[in-house]
Amino acid sequence: MPERVSPYRRIAVFGGVYSNAHALRATLDDARGRDVDAVFCLGDVGGFGPHPDRVYPLLREAGVRVLQGNYDESLASGRTDCACGYTDPRDNHFARISYEYTLARTSADNRAWLGTLPRHRRVQLGAHRLLMCHGSPRVVNEFLWESSTPAGLLRRFLREGDADVLLCTHTGIKWHRAVGDGAHAVNVGVIGRPENDGTTNVWYTILTATPDLAVEFVPVRYDAEALAREMEAEALPAEFVETIRTGWWTTCLENLPARERARGKF
Amino acid sequence: MRAGLPLLARGTAAAPLAPFVHLTALWIQVTGTWCNLECTHCLNASGPREPWLRPLDAATVRRAIADAERLGVKEIYFTGGEPFLHQEILSLLALSLSVAPTTVLTNGTVITAAMADALATLARAASYSLEIRVSLDHVDPELNDRVRGRGAWAKAVRAVRLLNERGLVPIVTATEILAGDAPEGAGTYARFRDFLLAHGVRKPRVKILPVFAVGRLEAPDGERLTEEALEGFDRGQLQCAETRVVASGGVYACPILAGLPGARLSDGNLEASFRAAPLYHPACATCHRTGMTCRNA
Repeated sequence: MPERVSPYRRIAVFGGVYSNAHALRATLDDARGRDVDAVFCLGDVGGFGPHPDRVYPLLREAGVRVLQGNYDESLASGRTDCACGYTDPRDNHFARISYEYTLARTSADNRAWLGTLPRHRRVQLGAHRLLMCHGSPRVVNEFLWESSTPAGLLRRFLREGDADVLLCTHTGIKWHRAVGDGAHAVNVGVIGRPENDGTTNVWYTILTATPDLAVEFVPVRYDAEALAREMEAEALPAEFVETIRTGWWTTCLENLPARERARGKF
Repeated sequence: MRAGLPLLARGTAAAPLAPFVHLTALWIQVTGTWCNLECTHCLNASGPREPWLRPLDAATVRRAIADAERLGVKEIYFTGGEPFLHQEILSLLALSLSVAPTTVLTNGTVITAAMADALATLARAASYSLEIRVSLDHVDPELNDRVRGRGAWAKAVRAVRLLNERGLVPIVTATEILAGDAPEGAGTYARFRDFLLAHGVRKPRVKILPVFAVGRLEAPDGERLTEEALEGFDRGQLQCAETRVVASGGVYACPILAGLPGARLSDGNLEASFRAAPLYHPACATCHRTGMTCRNA
């Protein structure tokens, strides 16, 4: 079902808020200045950061249209783990700390709200039919990295999903690929933590129907030091805080393909 | 099939089935069971003598890659045997990397500096990630070589170093065959991670596999899955729901059972193998119990 009858002209899309209220505020402020018709979040509202309940009022007040990610699904159903899909015991150790912290501090109301969110969304942007998902259209926690997602698979997703443009998140690193015949796939990135490039800013995406699809990745600078201090005060792992302060990932590295892993510090 | 390889006494007709969901991973048993090592716990009894499962010719591999691309594959894996013994391995990898991210499972013993250079060149030019998985069963040379053969440790560790120096961030794959010999308190994973860090590998990648009662460890009376055992379990989670293996003689349900008649799903046509797979083997019970996947992650 389309979101509305008339097509959008320009939209902002981000993923992975990860309880980062500072970055969410900065992203929403930035998007307001760019004349967008609507703002979309592709899921994973909680996890990693401090005080998870602080981001919900910001999302609601700004009218952000939110999809359900794997973390949201887990919190909504009270699962005992985040379904992040790790097999490495070190990654699972940190994922567990993060999930238990977030589950214990997310209100029942917010958890119930996460349970109402859709898994997919179809949106018309000019002449482009957009299909939005969290991980992939078929599996909520499937990782679509730039170096490990074949163009043939993306074309299959678009064909099966009856769409021209696929939007996803989940991995934490943005990318855009044209896959022929005016079709595109975009991983919109996340605003909850930097993308393992040694800078502290985060990224979101502006999509414009021009009429050719225009994809712009927008860096967002926010008060990372304030977030880091809050995480320390909440006794979240020092490894997480280091990522916020340095821009390098220190945990949950298992799923990175060789090319993305080689670019990082750890 | 070579005489002496244990054949399963029981048929597959009564076995529970795993559905086919979609093709995520295509495996290519490129050298069959032809290997320069003869590890005591080898999943498919590979070795240097006449292989019971023959290597594939390059044309068969190329056809499989083309079919997999058309069918929307996500990842391609090369295994054996030892894939780097195949004469055309580099050109096949180049083709595979133009279609999908590609992983090679190797014992590392034939990765020289020249081969590591060639792989680095391939990886740089490729559309997708090249992953090299080097098998090692223990960080201690003597313990490792007890199961993998004399000299295997030194050559595998050299391969890890050569690949690491070229930015190829190899994955070290270990079984838990020697887990009982671990120093107290150190799990297999932590032991390998610490070992790699100590050897200057700043981005340690480790994959642990359970030991399977198959190949040289075949146990004919092993536990088999039943409908009752699978009640309430999502069989779509099993890797045979999204994996197919092209090997000599046809297309098979999973890399562990490639070449065995009970796991054969078609005579070579990839799409024809997209049907339910019988969970007939004790290895299927290990997969179910451990939730393991042969994929990288």
